[in-house]
Amino acid sequence: MHKLVLQFENTTLKEMFVGRSGVKIGRSPDNGLVIDNRAVSHHHARVFPGIEGRLMLEDFGSMNGTFVNGQRVKMVTLKAGDCVAIAKHRIFVEDSNEMDGLCMWKAATKPDAPKMDETFMLATKERAEFLQRIAAEGEQSQIAPARLKVPTLFVRKGKTSHAEYLLTDQLTVIGKSELATIRLRGWFAPRTAAQINRREDNSFYLGAAGRIPRINGHPAIHPAKLAPGDLIEVAGVRLEFQYCD
Amino acid sequence: MPYLTQLVLNTPRLAAPAAKAATATLQPAFTVEFGARTDTGRVRKNNEDSFLAAPEMNLFVLSDGMGGLSAGEVASRLTVDSVAAHCRDAEADLALEFIGDKFAGSSPASNRLASAVRFANRIVYHAAHRHSGQHGMGATVVAVRFTQERMTVAHVGDSRAYRLRGQHLEQLTQDHSLVAEQVRRGQITEFEAGVSELRNVLMRGIGVESEVEADVSEECVMDHDVVLLCSDGLTRELSHCQIADVLASQACAQTAADRLVDLASQAGGLDNITAVVVRPTLRAGAPGSGARFFGKWFSGLAGQL
Repeated sequence: MHKLVLQFENTTLKEMFVGRSGVKIGRSPDNGLVIDNRAVSHHHARVFPGIEGRLMLEDFGSMNGTFVNGQRVKMVTLKAGDCVAIAKHRIFVEDSNEMDGLCMWKAATKPDAPKMDETFMLATKERAEFLQRIAAEGEQSQIAPARLKVPTLFVRKGKTSHAEYLLTDQLTVIGKSELATIRLRGWFAPRTAAQINRREDNSFYLGAAGRIPRINGHPAIHPAKLAPGDLIEVAGVRLEFQYCD
Repeated sequence: MPYLTQLVLNTPRLAAPAAKAATATLQPAFTVEFGARTDTGRVRKNNEDSFLAAPEMNLFVLSDGMGGLSAGEVASRLTVDSVAAHCRDAEADLALEFIGDKFAGSSPASNRLASAVRFANRIVYHAAHRHSGQHGMGATVVAVRFTQERMTVAHVGDSRAYRLRGQHLEQLTQDHSLVAEQVRRGQITEFEAGVSELRNVLMRGIGVESEVEADVSEECVMDHDVVLLCSDGLTRELSHCQIADVLASQACAQTAADRLVDLASQAGGLDNITAVVVRPTLRAGAPGSGARFFGKWFSGLAGQL
């Protein structure tokens, strides 16, 4: 299967696999590969699988043209290693084996299934390779910054059962309930004020329950990711989130 | 284990057992009202979605099957039935072993639900290998179970759980799809994921490999929360806002489920559509219930003793 790598000034912006119906390129958001630049036409070109599985490029009569390896083209075959130039953007064509297993799996399914929108599984080897590759190329690290340190909440204000709490559970509940982790002692404290969830990547998210908690002064209506030093305020209690040794 | 396998494979649909006191888990502080609806949609020839409601265990499971001919239906039915069977067996036998590793920091109920999902995976995997017509079949699964004041959500695949709390609709599960992985890593946007050629590619499934890892999370439960389990046939057709609107405006879980499925079908119905809506309500007399100021003050007092 072929892959397109979109670059601008030597920075990779996006990568896409070219599927059965191809990839349309242009400025308009209804394209598969959107290049938001005035020198790019709304519907500039498309890349699609042609005869014998070869990759084809077609220019839609764009204003500034489409170039392959330096030459302006209208309709041409592409191969791995080719460089397509649209305005100042570059699209590199790569051959990718990691999806081949996937294609084989798809071919093995029943012929009378509806052709579109079939769900299928990425097999183990392909999945492992895919995850490895995108992990290597991804901008952000998935590892929490202080992995070896223990996430802790320090009570800075308010009545609770303890002065500090280690966040060892997947769900930490702040409230007066007997089941709460951080038990509030105030007379009018709600049974369940707020909750903190630990997600798969070991990040912590503060969410509303009986109250909408504030994080650094802002109401957390949507679950808010906690960073070291964040101050949580809810039901008259202030907590500081830190990673400790 | 062999007994359980036989039980599950020979019974096309498990009948709900006579109401049995849940001895293993404490009676939750909530009663749950639920409603569910499934529809083939307008394009598919058959319905490969399945759901199971086991209110005696406060357990709700949904599965979206894939595979040739009727294998998808078999896979999803086996999945929901196996999850329920494992939970039922655990209620009867408190010492029932857990399948797979336990998560540190998760409650026993969460670990049991994870075990149930792994169990279902083994059942479907072996069934897929046993029958040539079912070779390659698989399914997604999403399950919620209520205990005390908590809710456990377990899932594999791209069927989802949502919770409406107040006006805010929260997606409780992260899809195990290739495009969702790309979005998480910042490679494509949500919009691009929705229109991607590869949006149906899953990274994890039930029955595809001999072992599977489920994502399990816990949530606290509040009065007036509305929980939704749904297959992707619903979320491909309806927007976040439309779903939130229906859940907020329908007082009854069944009418909410019906409305969601109808809207999705009208919007296109390209895939099977299933919605399971669960509304927990605090039991009268449970600690914390009683809307009156005096009642609250009084139970607050009691809490100090």
